[in-house]
Amino acid sequence: MTTGRSLRIGEALLGGGLAALGALIAVETMLTPSAGRGVVGPALFPYLIAGGLVLIGLSLLREAFAGHIAHDGGLELDLRAVVLVAAGLAAQFLLIEFLGWIPAATLLFVAVARAFGSRRYLLNVALGLLLAGATFAVFNYGLDLNLPSGIVGDWFEPAE
Amino acid sequence: MDTLAALGNGFLVALTPYNLLWSAIGVTVGTAVGVLPGIGPALTVALLLPVTYHLEPTSAFIMFAGIYYGAMYGGSTTSILLNAPGESGSIVTAIDGHAMARQGRGAQALATAAIGSFVAGTIATAALTFVAPLMVKLALLFGPAEYFALMILALTTVTAVLGNSLARGLGSLFLGLALGLVGIDMQTGQARLAFGVPELLDGIDTVVVAVGLFAVGETLYVASRYRFETEEIFALKGSKWMSREDWSRSWKPWLRGTLLGFPIGALPAGGSEIPTFLSYLVEKRLAKKPEEFGHGAIEAVAGPEAANNASAAGVLAPLLSLGLPTSATAAIMLAAFQQYGLQPGPTLFDSNPELVWGMIASLYVGNVLLLLLNLPLVGMWVKLLVIPRPWLYAGILVFSTLGAYTLNNNVVDLVILWGIGLVGFGMRVLNVPVAPCVVGLILGPLAEQQFRRALAISQGDPTVFVSHPISAVLLAVAVLLVVGPLLLRRRNRNAAAGGTDRPGTTSTV
Repeated sequence: MTTGRSLRIGEALLGGGLAALGALIAVETMLTPSAGRGVVGPALFPYLIAGGLVLIGLSLLREAFAGHIAHDGGLELDLRAVVLVAAGLAAQFLLIEFLGWIPAATLLFVAVARAFGSRRYLLNVALGLLLAGATFAVFNYGLDLNLPSGIVGDWFEPAE
Repeated sequence: MDTLAALGNGFLVALTPYNLLWSAIGVTVGTAVGVLPGIGPALTVALLLPVTYHLEPTSAFIMFAGIYYGAMYGGSTTSILLNAPGESGSIVTAIDGHAMARQGRGAQALATAAIGSFVAGTIATAALTFVAPLMVKLALLFGPAEYFALMILALTTVTAVLGNSLARGLGSLFLGLALGLVGIDMQTGQARLAFGVPELLDGIDTVVVAVGLFAVGETLYVASRYRFETEEIFALKGSKWMSREDWSRSWKPWLRGTLLGFPIGALPAGGSEIPTFLSYLVEKRLAKKPEEFGHGAIEAVAGPEAANNASAAGVLAPLLSLGLPTSATAAIMLAAFQQYGLQPGPTLFDSNPELVWGMIASLYVGNVLLLLLNLPLVGMWVKLLVIPRPWLYAGILVFSTLGAYTLNNNVVDLVILWGIGLVGFGMRVLNVPVAPCVVGLILGPLAEQQFRRALAISQGDPTVFVSHPISAVLLAVAVLLVVGPLLLRRRNRNAAAGGTDRPGTTSTV
């Protein structure tokens, strides 16, 4: 259960985050030596956008504590499921080049299915393998795109 | 060239067996993604971009247009049978459409939606055929200052119109603008906000952001709410045909919906939310039995569904003739044009007439195909709704990461996808609209380019934006759209001050 209070904290984080992003853009633009050719250099728009971000961030912060937020009565959120999906995606981008597309995508498939409450692991692994294998075949042999085969793929490569 | 002759040539392109095949694939895929929850036309076109890289641009855009139209048809099925709108244009349909399904009149609701979509789609495509060349003539009068003003207007309307809080909409828009800054500046070659990461020099891909927000963010949100929401599908039963009364109550809402949908879609205001809501209100006002609204009035399905499809055609008019996207799907299609090295706008009508007119002609063809797909074969699409959610969303994420990775074959895109997805989840929880972010990301750099071009031409004189009449008017409208609601709210607040509390402060924190 997520209460109205934590949603307000979330909104404050959003406001604070946008303001911080604005500040970061302003500082980074200031530190970049300008190649000021032309009438308007490459720094004007970053400054404008940074200014806008800071203003909007502050106004969201004010709204978070004093104004009207979405779901005033709180919103039930299953955060374990969110963490599981996010972890599945992180595992995939960490492992994809090493293990290859097929194991990494299968792992993602099983993790997301589990987050949605499915505990039939064997069936999910089989389905994930089928989907990952089919996309690998279509993309690498049909469309000439390169999905990484990884070390699992290398075991099946003919030795030279 | 005469419009009808150009359209005739377009049909010659669209009716070749090869392009007919792509149109059929497009409308079929479009209907499927419209029916499936969690995946919409913007996401689908984004995911298909790497796959279509080897395709002729004409065939690719014929397919994309089919997906766009198809999703508008398919979205109604989910709204009516599941009460879960597949995309924002179907929210209104769900109200009375689902009530009809509860009463066992789901088939009639689906039929009036499909036929209404066909009527509206065909009329609106005809309107597009004649309006687009007119807009091209208008566009020829535009210089960089006018283009800049037009883009600012589009950015503000997309933001001001969506969502219930201006600050949240603007936050989403500026996040998109900030993401658009990353990479090498087009005019000076200077790197901006790349933080020394070489993969960032090319900028953040629109596709990665769209997939991150629409697929990853959405999946995270649905996963977080999955345990607390139950779905109930209403089977189709009874007579499948619309009665004489259904017809007589439907045809006027179809036409009125079309009349609302096309112009609003074509304006920089864009989108399908406003015309569908307006159509609902108009039908309720004009209905003989307004008390039926909310409890299964067929007019409330017929009108909004027609408006929805007409607005899809409307959105294509500024996209093709001005290069101006006014919805998330249009923004992704603009990215697709850029992938092919094409720039939509007046020159596209001269340089690639077979693409522009082939695509417009394919919309007529697609509408006929969609009527066939959605009326006799509707039972087949209903079966898609029973795909178990764990597998559906797991599959969506596998395809999303596939699309993001194959864009440039590097892991950095997957990391960005992950980060944007988490941000998208936060936005979804806090009710921040995501479409302004996508539109801002693609329009921001274009607006900056026109701004700097205009100032280069005027030799640094910034009054160029207000001394050109068209540009001045467009900018004035944009300012009004942002300031007007703020002033109205302040006046209401002052009027209410001293009396009751402001709404929103009454809840306990």
